[in-house]
Amino acid sequence: MRLPKVVLLVSAILTILGALYAQKPFREYPAVEYENFPLPPDWRESTEFTRARLKCMDIGTRWGPRGYNWTIDYPRSDRHLLAGIRRLTRIHTRSVEQVVEIDDPAEIYNWPFLYAVEVGHWELSDEQAKRLRDYLLHGGFLMVDDFHGTREWEIFMSGMSRIFPERPVVDLSNQDPIFHVLYDLDERFQVPGAQYLYRGRTYEQDGYEAKWRGIYDDNGRLMVAICHNMDLGDAWEWSDDPRYPEKFASLAYRIAVNYTIYAMTH
Amino acid sequence: MFELLFKYPASAFSKGQLVLLGAWPVWTLVLAIAAGAAALGWLVWRRRLVLGPLGRAASLWVLQAAFLALLLLMLWRPALSIATLKPQQNIVGVLIDDSKSMAIAENGATRRDQAAKALDSGLLQSLKDRFQVRLYRVGDGAARMEKTEQLNAAAPVTRLSDALRQVAAESSNLPVGAFVLLTDGADNSGGVDPETIATLRQHRIPVHTVGFGFEALSHDVELSDLQLPPRTLADSRVLAQVAIRQSGFAGQSVRLTLRDSGKALASQSVVLGSDGAEQIVSVLFNAGPAGVRNLEASIEPLQGEANASNNRLTRVMDVDGAKPRVLYIEGEPRWEFKFIRRAIDEDKSLKLASILRTTQNKIYRQGVESENELAQGFPTKPEELFAFQGLIIGSVEANWFTNSQQELIKEFADRRGGGVLFLGGRFGLSDGGYNQPPFTEMLPVDLPSGKNTYHPQSAATVELTQAGRDSLLTRLIDNPDANVERWKKLPYLMNWQDPGSPKKGALTLVEMSPGGSTRKLPALITENYGHGRTAVFATSGSWRWQMLQPLADQTHEIFWQQMLRWLVSGSPGRLVLTTSKSLLADQQRVHLRAEVRDKLYETASDAQVEAHILGPDGLSERVALRPDPRERGVYTADWDAPKPGSYLTEAIARRGDEELGRDVLTFRREDGVAENFHTEQNRELLEKLSSQTGGRYYRPGEVKQLANEIEYSESGITVRETRDLWNMPVVFLLALALRASEWVLRRRWGVI
Repeated sequence: MRLPKVVLLVSAILTILGALYAQKPFREYPAVEYENFPLPPDWRESTEFTRARLKCMDIGTRWGPRGYNWTIDYPRSDRHLLAGIRRLTRIHTRSVEQVVEIDDPAEIYNWPFLYAVEVGHWELSDEQAKRLRDYLLHGGFLMVDDFHGTREWEIFMSGMSRIFPERPVVDLSNQDPIFHVLYDLDERFQVPGAQYLYRGRTYEQDGYEAKWRGIYDDNGRLMVAICHNMDLGDAWEWSDDPRYPEKFASLAYRIAVNYTIYAMTH
Repeated sequence: MFELLFKYPASAFSKGQLVLLGAWPVWTLVLAIAAGAAALGWLVWRRRLVLGPLGRAASLWVLQAAFLALLLLMLWRPALSIATLKPQQNIVGVLIDDSKSMAIAENGATRRDQAAKALDSGLLQSLKDRFQVRLYRVGDGAARMEKTEQLNAAAPVTRLSDALRQVAAESSNLPVGAFVLLTDGADNSGGVDPETIATLRQHRIPVHTVGFGFEALSHDVELSDLQLPPRTLADSRVLAQVAIRQSGFAGQSVRLTLRDSGKALASQSVVLGSDGAEQIVSVLFNAGPAGVRNLEASIEPLQGEANASNNRLTRVMDVDGAKPRVLYIEGEPRWEFKFIRRAIDEDKSLKLASILRTTQNKIYRQGVESENELAQGFPTKPEELFAFQGLIIGSVEANWFTNSQQELIKEFADRRGGGVLFLGGRFGLSDGGYNQPPFTEMLPVDLPSGKNTYHPQSAATVELTQAGRDSLLTRLIDNPDANVERWKKLPYLMNWQDPGSPKKGALTLVEMSPGGSTRKLPALITENYGHGRTAVFATSGSWRWQMLQPLADQTHEIFWQQMLRWLVSGSPGRLVLTTSKSLLADQQRVHLRAEVRDKLYETASDAQVEAHILGPDGLSERVALRPDPRERGVYTADWDAPKPGSYLTEAIARRGDEELGRDVLTFRREDGVAENFHTEQNRELLEKLSSQTGGRYYRPGEVKQLANEIEYSESGITVRETRDLWNMPVVFLLALALRASEWVLRRRWGVI
């Protein structure tokens, strides 16, 4: 009689530990741009959704010390956007992001929506590429943003072609459901980063034209949404700054809402 | 022996009436016996000192009183009043089974030969001495014959009811004394029906049966039944249930194989059960693509098997090419919605339409068939909702539906016969207000009365209950035991909701243990409700079965595909065409039954229903189905399939120019198979037939008495006779025994 009780107890503990460790709780990280950004009241709420930000230590040293470029715009951008999603849709989300490490073998699978920045500088290992491929084929969704011009595109593609060597990157047509799932977004334009405020131009490097691209799975569902030559992250980040034009912020929000709902429906 | 002692056969006593022919009334006999017994008692009492212990005196008194009573009874002239058939004025029908099973040889002679021998070695002559005898051979009916040499044991089928009714009808104006039926009782029509028994009783015709054949074959394996759903969806998991009976091979291992037109679908090893007992074996197989499946279950003949022809059974199953539609209404974007959609995308036999509330005032539709379909949200008209076969209600507040929509959801399951699945969620079950009518009536659980029953971001593990172990809905892998273990190893659910307690009659298939505790809550509960079915899946966290398992793992897809297939299984179309038998084994007649409903799924009793039957050799025939006066909306027709082979039937119901519905059915006629099964003597059937008609069951060795016993009958032309009983040998033996007993006792006690 004693053995079954012990077995039950051990399995109960393992299950609890498994549950705890399989999905990690919210945690803040040091960022290159922000420290002590205020937490919203709902940060502890247990919700169906939150957007996961990919923590990829091997993203280059464009803005800060190596290992921190994944924090560009973080956490201000994430929290502005998530509060917007919470307000504008019926998605039950908390207003804080979840940082997910690409090197954690299991954690990524708990968060079916991933957002990654500075992918124009990423250097993926074989294992990281394999994990992202597996994640996406399982049904995960990756949105990449804030990389510009030919050079960064090539770096991005060198990483992406290791994830999906056989799948082409295609320009998304206006008819794609991702542009209509909530808002009809036939009229899209380049969304600049904060540099627009002092340089007055919407592009960076030679990325003159916004590119709405993606990679589809075998059933015609978008797995990777690629926002090239635009900086939606900055638009969400600066959306509360009166100097940043509303039309850019507004489109950035609508794009994010559509992409999120698409990821939760396809 | 009985007749030797009692002078008349036992049946005479059972059918006759005992009377006393003496001139004095019965009470004087009772008085005389009492007086005599008292006198004897007084005499014995006077001599009690000589006799010794009181027990001796009492014994002697009992013996003397019994003897006196016997003598007095004989003086009052006991007799038997009984009706007997008048000689040569009555007909006795002798019916001999002439089917193939009578050709089975046992102890060196076929059953046919044994029956012929029984008749020819005296029985027939003794019957002819008393009655007019008519001989009949029995197969699917009865045919007159003159002599037993005409028997050939070749009839492909035995229908005792038809034969008995036919002979009874033919001789309804004649004085029939009795029927004598010589058979093995291996009837192929399911036994003697109550109508036939009633007819025989009405004509007061006793049926005396003579049973031939072993009551159990010494070495035989028989597939006695093969149960399959008459129709299923393409690529469905189907459970075939094969009934096996055997004798002489208990404990032996055999291989049971299921084939479709010769191609093996499934095969499994079976250890044969005990002799004579029916053993049910379940065989799981994939239905494959749409079309007709000619399925055959078989066991290879074993060495020394008496009858190898009963080792295989065939059935026909329709695999439906139609794609049932399920409507999924979801109140908020969530991962469960996405992953259910993706799982069903993989299933080419199902269509999933969905309405998702993306914002307070917007919906997003997927899987709709036209621009306008569901454009206004959840259907408000029955014909819109009833176009679907299944309905999933996700995390959407109950009061988001209008009152009439709520009633419509109830009617969807109750009247239309659809399946409704309620999912757990922030706005699901109790937290969504579903613990109010009309949902309380249709849910398979009594929901908790309060709220806060949903626990997001709270893990729960799952495992199957015994009902879940047996259910196909939860069968992720074929082997039931391995399936139980598979469920235990599934990744934890992301969240859980307390669904309350299952109602009586509901089945809990899956239980969950929240937070790794040993506390168990129902997770998946199903119930039949009205014409349809309802279920609760008290979580929205099964999407982790997809994300947290290896890419090749199909658990999540299989579960949801089977869940939705269960949901639509049995959801009827507006016309449902059925037949009682999809395989006509040595039969021609097929009974077609169509149940017709209109767009609102109200029974349609004013329809015109026609079946178009296509059969072998280019046969094409149209058959009108007539309204069944006993059931509203039901139309029936009997049709004879002229040749062996497969028949495809399409029925269409119309009301004026409007087509109400159509359905397709396949059946098959096979000849020369029925007599291969149940070939042992069915004694139970024969005894029942005899006892219910006033006859008697005989073994072949007892038939010499038959002619004597048949004489005592109330049917035909009879005369009532009174036969003395005082001169029965048993009376004298009894008197002698009483006196001898007293003498022996006196000698022993020395009190002569």
